[in-house]
Amino acid sequence: MNLARVAGTVVATQRSDGVAGARWLLVEDADQRGAGKGEYLVALDMVGADRGQLVLTTQGSSCRWTSRTEDRPMDTLVVGIVDTIDEGGAVVYPRAPSGAGLKARG
Amino acid sequence: MVLARVKGTVVATHKSESMEGMRFLLLEKLDPVTLAGKGDYVVGIDSVGANAGEVVFYVTGSSARMTDTTKGKPSDATVIAIVDAIEKDGELTYSKGGQQG
Repeated sequence: MNLARVAGTVVATQRSDGVAGARWLLVEDADQRGAGKGEYLVALDMVGADRGQLVLTTQGSSCRWTSRTEDRPMDTLVVGIVDTIDEGGAVVYPRAPSGAGLKARG
Repeated sequence: MVLARVKGTVVATHKSESMEGMRFLLLEKLDPVTLAGKGDYVVGIDSVGANAGEVVFYVTGSSARMTDTTKGKPSDATVIAIVDAIEKDGELTYSKGGQQG
């Protein structure tokens, strides 16, 4: 899975994928701190993600391994909403408010 | 799925029998914020009736074989949707037939 930020939504009524009730998200590749990389994809929303949230995306043929997407032409799914990321023992997402670390140390 | 603009069509008379009847589109990947083309082109099979100038998104890899048009065909890029609108951070960056388009 990749990390991405939900940047917005895409509307498309004329389609051939056959996925009922599809909601399309514009997602931007992001680093482990949630910063966008400027590369965008359209992803099928499986979790009700909102704009600004950091999410997990699945790409490739694995996208067809859900009941909604079985045998469907899907190659990018949003499969999770990220709460926190720990890197080397420190929480890097969401970013702690500035000064919070100093206060914690007293 | 990848956003692209249909720049035209590709004709290939001599092709694999399994590709008979397929309509090939010349696609240029685009930046959804500026709508500028990235200069990066790919040929995709049309499964929605997309035309030149339209913004679409296409599916790649084995999933490109999963439309009614491309079932069992050796496609690795299939256009599956014509985009009506793109919204980023609350602002419309593209609207089909609109000023931004």
